[in-house]
Amino acid sequence: MSDVNVLVLTGYGLNCDHETAHAFTLAGAVSTRVHINALIDRDVTLDGFHILVFGGGFSWGDDHGAGVVQAVRMKTHLGEAIEHFIQSGKLVIGICNGFQTLVNMGLLPGFDNDYRSRKVALIHNDCGNFRDDWVNLKVNGKSPCVFTQGMDTMEYPVRHGEGKFYAEPDVMKLLTEQNQIALRYALGNGTPANGKFPENPNGSVNDIAGICDQTGRVFGLMPHPEAYSHAVNHPAWTRHKELAIRAGKPLDAFETPGIRLFRNGVNYIRNSIL
Amino acid sequence: MQKRLEIRLKPHLNDPEGEGLRKKAGAYFGMAIESVRTIQIVTLDADLTDAQFIQVKDDLFTNPVTQESSFEPLSTPFDWCIWVGFRPGVRDNAGSTAVEAIEDILDLKIRDGEAVYTSKRYCITGEGLTEEDMVTLASQLLANDIIQQYSVFSKDAWDSAKGVGFRIPKVKLDHTPTVSTMSVESDEVLKTLSDERNLALRAQDIPVIRNYFLRDEVKKDRETMGLTDPTDVELEYISQSRSDHCNHNTFQGIFRYTDISTGETLVENNLFKTYIKEPTLYLKDKKDWVVSVLWDNAGIGRFDENHNYVITGETHNSPSNMEAYGGAITGIVGVYRDPLGTGLGSKLVMGSYGFCVADRDYNGDYQPNLHPRRLLDGVIEGVKDGGNKSGIPTPFGQIYFEKGYLGKSLVFVTALGIMPATVNGKPSHEKRTTRGDLILMCGGRVGKDGIHGVTASSEVFSENTPAGHVQIGDPYTQKKMHDFILEARDEDLIVFITDNGGGGLSSSIGESAEISNGCHVELEKVPLKYDGLDQWEIWISESQERMTVVIRPESLNRFMELSRKHAVESTVIGTYTDTGKLHITYHGKTCAYVNMDLLSEGFPQWEFDAEWQTPERRGLFEPVTREPKDYNRLILDILNRPNICSKEWVSRQYDHEVQGGSVIKPLMGKERDVASDASVVRPVLTSERGLAFSQALLPTYSAIDAYHMTTCTIDEAVRRLIAVGADPDQIGGVDNFCWPDIQFHPENNPDGKFKAAQLVRSCRALKDMCMAYEIPLLSGKDSMYVDGHLKGRYGETLKVSALETMQFSASAVITDVNHAMSLDTKMEGDLVYVLGETADHLGGSEYYEHLGKVGLNVPQVKAAHYIHRYKALARAIETGLVASVHGVYRGGLAVHLPMVAMAGCLGMTVRLADILWEGEDVKRRDDRILFSETPGRFIITVAPSKKADFEKLFSGLGAKHVGDVTGENDALVIMGSNGEMKAELTVSSMKQAYKKRFGDER
Repeated sequence: MSDVNVLVLTGYGLNCDHETAHAFTLAGAVSTRVHINALIDRDVTLDGFHILVFGGGFSWGDDHGAGVVQAVRMKTHLGEAIEHFIQSGKLVIGICNGFQTLVNMGLLPGFDNDYRSRKVALIHNDCGNFRDDWVNLKVNGKSPCVFTQGMDTMEYPVRHGEGKFYAEPDVMKLLTEQNQIALRYALGNGTPANGKFPENPNGSVNDIAGICDQTGRVFGLMPHPEAYSHAVNHPAWTRHKELAIRAGKPLDAFETPGIRLFRNGVNYIRNSIL
Repeated sequence: MQKRLEIRLKPHLNDPEGEGLRKKAGAYFGMAIESVRTIQIVTLDADLTDAQFIQVKDDLFTNPVTQESSFEPLSTPFDWCIWVGFRPGVRDNAGSTAVEAIEDILDLKIRDGEAVYTSKRYCITGEGLTEEDMVTLASQLLANDIIQQYSVFSKDAWDSAKGVGFRIPKVKLDHTPTVSTMSVESDEVLKTLSDERNLALRAQDIPVIRNYFLRDEVKKDRETMGLTDPTDVELEYISQSRSDHCNHNTFQGIFRYTDISTGETLVENNLFKTYIKEPTLYLKDKKDWVVSVLWDNAGIGRFDENHNYVITGETHNSPSNMEAYGGAITGIVGVYRDPLGTGLGSKLVMGSYGFCVADRDYNGDYQPNLHPRRLLDGVIEGVKDGGNKSGIPTPFGQIYFEKGYLGKSLVFVTALGIMPATVNGKPSHEKRTTRGDLILMCGGRVGKDGIHGVTASSEVFSENTPAGHVQIGDPYTQKKMHDFILEARDEDLIVFITDNGGGGLSSSIGESAEISNGCHVELEKVPLKYDGLDQWEIWISESQERMTVVIRPESLNRFMELSRKHAVESTVIGTYTDTGKLHITYHGKTCAYVNMDLLSEGFPQWEFDAEWQTPERRGLFEPVTREPKDYNRLILDILNRPNICSKEWVSRQYDHEVQGGSVIKPLMGKERDVASDASVVRPVLTSERGLAFSQALLPTYSAIDAYHMTTCTIDEAVRRLIAVGADPDQIGGVDNFCWPDIQFHPENNPDGKFKAAQLVRSCRALKDMCMAYEIPLLSGKDSMYVDGHLKGRYGETLKVSALETMQFSASAVITDVNHAMSLDTKMEGDLVYVLGETADHLGGSEYYEHLGKVGLNVPQVKAAHYIHRYKALARAIETGLVASVHGVYRGGLAVHLPMVAMAGCLGMTVRLADILWEGEDVKRRDDRILFSETPGRFIITVAPSKKADFEKLFSGLGAKHVGDVTGENDALVIMGSNGEMKAELTVSSMKQAYKKRFGDER
């Protein structure tokens, strides 16, 4: 079986690179952390890779808008290479700061193959502060998003100060109609959070936590699936474990929803490209 | 050309920053503001074409979806407008990032002298707001005079064409760098010169310094370099090295300790050696997991066979008291450089915080530099940006309110790192400098920042403390440097590394040159932020985000290649030698030439008189109380007290899961809203091993006896670790002493002798506990002079000193994180145990404090007795015998039974009659059982099926079945000793009390 090669960006204040690479490895890929400048200087090219990851962090300190400067730098030096990467059927995922970068580059929402226009924004949380908390998420089953296929609800942590999704009504309409809204903040029972804090942690319009392009191959989300790569990452894992023991259930290792999301991407490449 | 770009959110979008200010103005000053809209200002002082200005405006600074911008003043309506910008020379992180980004988009270089500056203006509307209100807002909430400037504009005075004008806070030093010399003709002359220059040389050190420079062979030696009298560079070097901050003169001093009741006097020759170094070395020999202690920037313990972990703790008190945000961010970013500079460099894996401040709602007459509320807001935000932007989780911390911190607040920051045990086959914890090695400065540049910071933190805070030592840390620059250094380490390019913190190059190079026995530094090579710095300023500047890295000459090309890749500035500034000389030149001319062994010249030890008076002699006694009747209200009121209640508002601002290794989070339980005992992280993602970490602070016990304050603090930190499943045989400690001035002075410090005795006793306790629990001290620091002179309403000043405070941090490995434990009850029908006896220990307790009393019966630790139960509990957790574990800490059972019940969202019935009581039966009373703070205790829940095994394991160790876990809709019911119901509290009422105080803070 050929390797699925994942490139995880590092440098300039990005900081989730190690755990994101680790999570993709658990999902069956071969992941490499590559400094943004190594790509720009062409010491490394995108050619051999199948999945490009814009990970979490504070690129350029989040000064002048989260993800803004990273987007400018990537677009200036690698814009065409990345568009070519997408057109050739490969996957791009942006997590948190990576999602902020994708929308500022215009890779999302990518209406009608326009991967250059800024149509949506991720702005300061309504709560006025950075917030770390776990959220319930609901997948839009009709979305073409490759990464969320077969998933329905899950919990991941959010950790951001600028995660409020915003777009004008005409853009919202298109996103909705084209099922590009892949992931929404939800209540514990899976119904939409309807703006309720803290279930919707940032005031995102329409509870949006993640969107994809029309192909489903470019995906951005604020929550951190890579932070749920081990059962003990879940805030209630000690309860889950004790209740399972009492119920006489085996304590088998299970694939966390975080790894599951990445495995969807890895499997897609296996089935479509390799 | 200068252009000023104004950027705002589109008017229909919510402005959370403006909204935050509106709310704060209401909460702080009762000001009724209708709305606040913020405008970001980017002032570009650079020679760009019009097209280029427009390109950066559109592509970089304006989000077309949400923002509007203009090079003309925007027309946002207001009644009042406040502009806030930095003062010259203050670090403008966003301005620097803007320069990087502009260079990138336009593919050009911003020239020396050109720059980008960021500032803000706030457009405020509201009826009846006055100019005075605006000055209050600007000076109390928006700008700190030390680093920022502001202007207030009224609607009428606003010139819509001119706007705020052009404010360019550019540093202009019209100064030619000059080396000056100081006369050593007499002690008096040198002392006067030293004081004039703020050198803070101690009178006792001056004859030693003079003696050195007057020696014939020294004079002859110096003549060969064209030197006569000592230069300012040399004296600054000596002053830095001799400061209490660098040299720990207090802990290495002589203490004459007299117990007034017995009249016995004992001379302590060196507290550090006797109570810290010796026990730690003894334990290092005994514990094979201890890798490196007592010399490097941080201590090192073994994590697993391939990795070691690194830990250290610091305080950043004085700067935080002047500029809370800047001081705290500089503190946390600074402590992160310690593990990075330990061994050959370690990756940062977590940080923690401790804030000690006065009452947040203080409204008394004495005015600290910053009101406690503003100070706390600032330090919380500083640690937030410093930790989050560094990509390092902050999963633990504590906040303690006590009136003594009005004089000076405390900001503790702790850092843990992880490193491979070997680099290219060599142990990573060993490093040395050798003749011919290159000295490089990596990271930030040098400015006038922080000059005399080290000496200022060794002095009592007063109006005359130089403000120039306040800085703003830059986690972004440091994160780039962190990633770069780890890559260079892994390629085996680094032979020595240390950070530039207190004392700057003077400390980092001075100390590392002791290993090779000499160095030659060329100061003109040091990259500067701006021209005009004197040589001595370059040498001692504390500009942040810099490491001193040592490499072999043959590694230079590769090292610089990596440096460029990571966009980090690195510069060769000298070489190590073995000449026995610290040699500094500036453009070839010598400005310092001193013997490396000058600092071992026999400087006199500091001396202190210490007089111990027992609490009884000091007139302390137990308050006379009868049992309360309304326990429900009492318990709820105590759950709501500032030092007990939920600090979720702070924990959630801190990223505690980045790096993906989170196991036990700061908030746990069914609704993840109750503070956990300790944090557990998995720093190596491919391993199931974990690292547990906890901290404790119990300053109120110092009001009775700092010996017991210290033992209880350490016991609490240890129990916190045990509660989450740590291995009791692998606990390491970090001591952080924060003490008021202990040097007796009949007028200025009349109780200095008592405070000195408290320090001696605390050190004795530290050793006693470390030996009993076998805790080597992996690291530690002391910060003295926790005093402040506050202005009162009549213009008088009053000295306010903090209680003697020690923060103790503890770390330990958890062999398998899958066995880690949390505090929440898990299932109805489980049995509730209290492990450990309860005694009459209400002195200094939360309950007495609530009643406005201190008391006498301070809790006492029986460490040799407790250690057996801790080991048994560790076994019980590891073998799955228990369902939940929680230590009994401040507030006693009355606080910690509710914590367990709230976390599990289940009821609980507890029978006080079954609690084991230690001491006379006549003292046994239900309120004492509930509020006593006897250490050594835990609340444990156990499944009925495990009862027999559990009780067998704890046979003879004081585990007592005292109650049962009840259902989801049941309350916490406390049955009195006579069988009557004392309290009945629903989970929701307890949560309301626990959370309401700070619940809405954002």
